[in-house]
Amino acid sequence: MLRLPRFQYHAPRSLTGALELASRHANEFMYIAGGTDLLPNMKHLLFEPPHLISLRGLRELDFIEVQGGGGIRIGALTTLTRIAESDLARRELPSLAQAAGLVAGPQIRNMGTLGGNVCLDTRCVYYNQTLFWRKALGYCLKKDGSQCHVVQSGKRCVAAHSADTVPALITLGAAVELQSPRGAREIRLEDFFSGDGVKNTVREADEIITAVRIPPQPRGRRANYTKVRIRNSIDFPILSIALAVDFREDGRTCDNVELVMTALGSKPRRIGNLHGVVEGRALTAEVIQAVAHQAHRQAHPLTNINVDPEWRREVAPVYVRRALERAVRAG
Amino acid sequence: MSKKLNEMPVSNPNKGRTFKVVGRQPRKPEGLKKVSGEALYTDDIVLPRMLHAKILRSIHAHARIRKIDASKALALPGVHAVVTGNDMPIAYGIIPWTQDEYPLCTDKTRFVGDGVAAVAAVDEDTANRALELIEVEYEVLPAVLSPEQAREHPEIKVNEKAKDGNLSKHVFLEFGDMEGGFARADVVDEDHFYFENTTHAPIEPHCAIGQYDRNGVLTVWSSTQVPHYLHRELARVLNLPQNRVRVIQPLVGGAFGGKSEPFDLEFCVAKLAMITGRPVKILYTREEVFYSHRGRHPMEMTYRTGATKDGKLTAIDAKITFDGGAYSSFGLVTAYYSGQLLTAPYQMPAYRFDSSRWFTNKPACGPKRGHGSVQPRFAFEVQLDKIAHRLNLDPIELRRRNFIGEYTETINGLRITSNGFLECLDAVEKASGWKERRGKLPFGKGLGVAGSMYISGTNYPIYPNEMPQSAVLVRLDRSGRAVIFCGASEIGQGVNAMLANILCEELGTALADVQVVSSDTDLTPIDLGAYSSRVTFMCGNACIDAARKLRKQILEACAEKLQTSPEDLDILPGEVVCLKDTAKRLSTPEAFQLAEAKSGSLAATGSFKTNPLGGDYRGGTIGASPAYSFTAHVAEVTVDPGAGFVTVDRIWIAHDCGKAINPILVEGQMEGSAYMGCAEAIMEAQTYNSKGMHIGPSLLDYRIPTSLDTPEMQSLIIESIDPEGPYGAKEAGEGPLHPSIPAVANAIFDAVGVRLTRLPFTPAVVLKALREKEERERRAAPAAAGGQ
Amino acid sequence: MKVVCTLRVNGEPHEIAIPPHWTLLEALRYELGLTGSKQGCDKGDCGACTVIVDGRPELSCLTLALGAEGRDVRTVEGLATPQGLHPLQDCFDLNGAAQCGFCTPGILMSAAALLEHNPSPTREEIKQALAGNLCRCTGYTKILDAVEQAAARLREARP
Repeated sequence: MLRLPRFQYHAPRSLTGALELASRHANEFMYIAGGTDLLPNMKHLLFEPPHLISLRGLRELDFIEVQGGGGIRIGALTTLTRIAESDLARRELPSLAQAAGLVAGPQIRNMGTLGGNVCLDTRCVYYNQTLFWRKALGYCLKKDGSQCHVVQSGKRCVAAHSADTVPALITLGAAVELQSPRGAREIRLEDFFSGDGVKNTVREADEIITAVRIPPQPRGRRANYTKVRIRNSIDFPILSIALAVDFREDGRTCDNVELVMTALGSKPRRIGNLHGVVEGRALTAEVIQAVAHQAHRQAHPLTNINVDPEWRREVAPVYVRRALERAVRAG
Repeated sequence: MSKKLNEMPVSNPNKGRTFKVVGRQPRKPEGLKKVSGEALYTDDIVLPRMLHAKILRSIHAHARIRKIDASKALALPGVHAVVTGNDMPIAYGIIPWTQDEYPLCTDKTRFVGDGVAAVAAVDEDTANRALELIEVEYEVLPAVLSPEQAREHPEIKVNEKAKDGNLSKHVFLEFGDMEGGFARADVVDEDHFYFENTTHAPIEPHCAIGQYDRNGVLTVWSSTQVPHYLHRELARVLNLPQNRVRVIQPLVGGAFGGKSEPFDLEFCVAKLAMITGRPVKILYTREEVFYSHRGRHPMEMTYRTGATKDGKLTAIDAKITFDGGAYSSFGLVTAYYSGQLLTAPYQMPAYRFDSSRWFTNKPACGPKRGHGSVQPRFAFEVQLDKIAHRLNLDPIELRRRNFIGEYTETINGLRITSNGFLECLDAVEKASGWKERRGKLPFGKGLGVAGSMYISGTNYPIYPNEMPQSAVLVRLDRSGRAVIFCGASEIGQGVNAMLANILCEELGTALADVQVVSSDTDLTPIDLGAYSSRVTFMCGNACIDAARKLRKQILEACAEKLQTSPEDLDILPGEVVCLKDTAKRLSTPEAFQLAEAKSGSLAATGSFKTNPLGGDYRGGTIGASPAYSFTAHVAEVTVDPGAGFVTVDRIWIAHDCGKAINPILVEGQMEGSAYMGCAEAIMEAQTYNSKGMHIGPSLLDYRIPTSLDTPEMQSLIIESIDPEGPYGAKEAGEGPLHPSIPAVANAIFDAVGVRLTRLPFTPAVVLKALREKEERERRAAPAAAGGQ
Repeated sequence: MKVVCTLRVNGEPHEIAIPPHWTLLEALRYELGLTGSKQGCDKGDCGACTVIVDGRPELSCLTLALGAEGRDVRTVEGLATPQGLHPLQDCFDLNGAAQCGFCTPGILMSAAALLEHNPSPTREEIKQALAGNLCRCTGYTKILDAVEQAAARLREARP
C-alpha cells in the first residue's frame, strides 16, 4: 500500500490553539482539514511536512449562516455534503450547492470541506504521481524539477486549478476570511489565486481560511454550475463552467453575465468582454452564441489534464451555450 | 483405444433432465462470509514474525543493468535481506515454449516498472526506505514503443528470446478457397480497425506471502488464478523439488485474467522467506498492478470480407498487428486466438488470418477476459453491420442467414456441438423491441446488434500431459455434512457455488452442509486454473463424476435397508425416497451412515479430461474446446451530438450457457462481462508517454465506470443443453463480453450515422467523426444541387 | 514513535498504539484485526475502504487514525447483530451482489448509510449513493437490485 511519510499530528480544539501550534512549528507544518486532497498528495510524497495540524476540532468553523443584509457566510470546515444538501444553499446559492454536490464521489464530499476545496492544490498529469513515477519522468517544474512537460519551454508551472466550488463562488462575488498568528484579513476570492501553478494562492502557510463570505445576490440572478468529466462521479473536472446571469424585472432582459471557467490553467478564468454583449438584451440564440464565442476565444485547455485539449476547447462554447439556455429556462 | 479427432457425441444425456437444486439455488457457500467481512483474502492473512517486502522497479523503459549496490540498504536497521536478478537466474513464463521472464531482471530492464531488486524488512516503511538506498547503475538503451518501431528497428532487441528481430509470434493460416470466395462475392468490404490497450483492474491488488518451514517446504499464499501453474514455476525457478512446494490461493478479489500467470512478487516472497527464515509478504501498490498488466493487446486490424447480395459470407481475410509489450506472457496463444476464434457462429466458406505480435518496451499484454478474440470480434461485427447496411438487410437477419448451425465443424476444424445462437438473436430482438424501434428512434438515439462465440475451456493443458485437467475429491461425513476438495480457483466467478450445487443435486445435501475447500495444492486435487472459461465445464464434470460414485454407494445401501432396488430410489434435498412407495424414506444423514456401514468411510474422487479435438494442422488444437458458448447483444445508446459523449442506456444480453446451474451467478457473469466490454467501448485506455511510461497508473486516471456510468442491463439466459457439459452447462464468464463493444459501435452508427472503428469511443473521437460527417455532407450537398 | 489513541469502532472503545502516519484503514486492518475493510487503490479512488464515520460513509484510507479519535466508526464487521445479518447483507448474498466480494464491505457501508438517511431511495438515488464505490465484477445491476430489496425489507420491518 502507498504509505504516508512520517509526521507528528496535532489536534487543536480551537482556532487559537491551531494558530499557536502554527507559530510553534513555523515552516515545518501543514494544516489538514478533510485530508482528501492533502493525504493523496502526501502519499505521492509531494508534501512531507514534519507536523500536521488538524483543523477538524475547530467546530466553530462548521456553519452556514445568513448575515444581516442578506449575505451568507459559510464556515471553512463545513463539509461539501452539508453545502450540497443545505436548503439555504440550494435556494440562495444554487450554483454553489450544485458545484459542492459534484465534487469527486459521496465519501469525499462527506470528508472534504469548503476551505479545503478552495485551497485544492493544482493538478497535472506530470505531478499527481508517485515518487517512482516522477523520478522516471525526470520530475517537473512544480516539484523537484526544472522542466515543464506541458509547455515544453515554459518557465511557469501551469498545473490546473481544479476546484469545483471556486468558479461558482467567484461568480457570486465571494470573499475568503483568513486568520493567521499575525491577524485576520479578507480577500476577494477572485484575487486569491495567482497564475503560478506551484503555489496558486496568496494564502500564507500559517493562514487558515476561516470562512467564505458570499454577498447578497442581485434579485434577478440565476446561477448554475456545469462540470464536464468523463465519469459521472469521482473524477475531477476536465472543464467546468460557473454562470450567473442577472435578469431585469421582466425576467428576460439581461443586465450582466458572470462567467468563470476552470480546469484550464493555474487559476480560474473569468471570461471577459461580456458586458457589452449582453447588457440590455434578451438572451436570444444570437446573444448566447456571442457569449459562447467569447468563451471559446478565451479558454485555452492544456495537456495538464489527460483529456484531449482541442476537444475541450471545442466543447467549451457548447457547454456555455447550454448553461445560458438553462438560465433562460429557469425563469 | 485412441479416439479420432472431433468425434461428435452420439446422444445428449442432458436433454430433458429435470432438477431439484440445479437452477434453483441462488446462494453460494462462501456468500455470507463475503457480506460479513469474514472472507479472507491474501492481504488479510498475517503470520507471526512476518516481514514485508517491496520491489525496486526500473525507471527506464529499456536499460542494461551495469551494477547493483545494495550495501547501504542492507545496512539499514530493520532490513533483513535484499535479492536481485542474479539470485533467481532461471527464466519462467506461463507457456513452456516462451519462458522469457525472470523474477527480477538479470541483465537488463525492458519496461518502466520492470523489477530489479527486492527488499525484506520489518515493515513496509523500512522496506521503502531501503529501496531508496539501493544504487543501480543503468546503461540506458533506446526503447521501442510501438509495433511499427519494433518492426523497423530489429537492431534494438527488446527481448532476446525473439528469433526474428522483435517479432514475438507470427501466425498465418488459410482455410478454403480465398480467391474463389472473393470472386463470387457481390460486395467486398475492407476496413481498418484499432482496439486500444485496456487492463483488468481488479479491485484487489496482487498480494503474496511466502513461508519456508523447517522441513524445507515452501508455502506461498497468493492472489493467483492459476495455483497449479504457480506451483510448478515456483519449484522450477527456485530449484526446489515440486514436492517441497505448496501453493494456497485464498479468496481472490477479482482477476479477469490479470492473475493467470506467475508474477515477480510470488518468486520474491518465496526467495526472501527462504533467505530470512521468516514469512514475507508483498502487497502491490495500485501502480504496480498496472505495471504487472497482462491486459488486452492493442491491435491494428484490417478485415476484408466478401458477401453475396443476399448477405451470405464468401471469404474473410484478416491482417492483425499487435503490441505485446516486453514479454511473451500468453502471447503465443493470443496470436492464434486472434484468428482461430472468429469462425463461428457464422459459416465461413473461406478464411485467412495473418497475425503478428511484436515485443515493445512496455508492460506485457496478456489474457484479459475474452482472451485474444474480443478485438477481432469488434472489428468483424462492425464490418458485418456495414455489409448489412450496404445490402439494405436487417443486421439481425444478415447474422441469421450466416448461422453455422449446431453439431458441425468450423472451417478451421473446431467441433461445434450445442449452439443456441439463433435463440440468442431472437431473444435480444424481442426484448429490445428491435423490429418496432430500429431506425425509428430520433437522431442521437440508436440500437446496435452483435454476436459472438467463445470457448468453454481450452481443450489442452498448457504443458502437455495425459493426466486429468480437473479433479474433485468429495468426502461425506456421517453427520450429513459434505466437503468438496477442489483445486479450482474461486475468483468471484462462482466455482464454489457451481460445485456445491452439483453435490446438493446428486446427494441431497443442503447448501449449508457443504464446505468447499479450494485451491490448496496440499489439500486439493489439481485443477489447471481459472482461465479460458474452463472451470464449469471441466470441474463441473469432475464433480459430477465424484458425486455419482458416492450416489451409487448411497443408493445401494439405502436399497438394501428399504428392501427395494436402487433404480427405484431417488435422492431429494434432505432425503432418499422410494419412488414406488413414498412412505419409504431415509434422511440424508441416515443414508450416509448406511452407506458408510456398507462400504467404509465415504469419499470419492472424480476427474475430467477432454477428448482429442481441433484441426489437423499445426496450431489446429489452439482454439479447440469441448464446447462453445454463443452470445448476442443489442445495445441502446444516446449520443450527444454537441459534445460527443456516448451514453450506453441499456444492453440486452442473450447468452447460451448451455444450462444455468446457478442462474443468478450466470446473470452476474453476463452483466459483469457486458459492463466490462461497454467500459472498453466508451472510456478505458491504458496509454504510454514518449518515455514509455504509463500515463496514469491509478484508479483515478485509468477510469473504470462507476454506478452512474454503467448501463441498465437485461440478462436473457438461453439454455441449449450441451451433450457433454455438466447437466448441459457451458461457459458464461467471458463470452458475453465480446458483443458489447461492436453492439455499442453499431448503435452509435444507428444513432448518428458515423462508423467508429477506433476504440475507445471517447467524446473527442465521436465529435471529430460527427464534424467530419457534417463536412462530407456539406461538400456533397452543393455538388448534388449542381447536378452536372 | 507510536502514540496511544482510543478508537471507537462498532460501538466499542479500543486503545491502541500506532505511528501518527497510519491511516484509519491501517489501524483497522493491521492493529484491530478488522480486515473486512479493504484496500484497493492506495489513495481514495475506489471506495473499498469505506466505513461509516459519525453516520456518513467516509474513506478510511484518507482518514488518519488519530483523526478518527472521538468519532464513531462503523465497519462491515459491525453491520450484523447477534440476532442476525443486516438485511443488506442477506440481500447481497441472495442476489449475487457480491461476486469476488472485495468491494462488497465498502459498498455495504455506503448502502447502509444511505438507507439510514433515506429508507425509500429510488434506483437513481442508490446509484448516486454508491457512485464512490467501484465494483469490477457485477456491472452494479445485482447490487442495485439487492439494495432495493433490502430497503423494502427494512420498510416492512419497521412500518
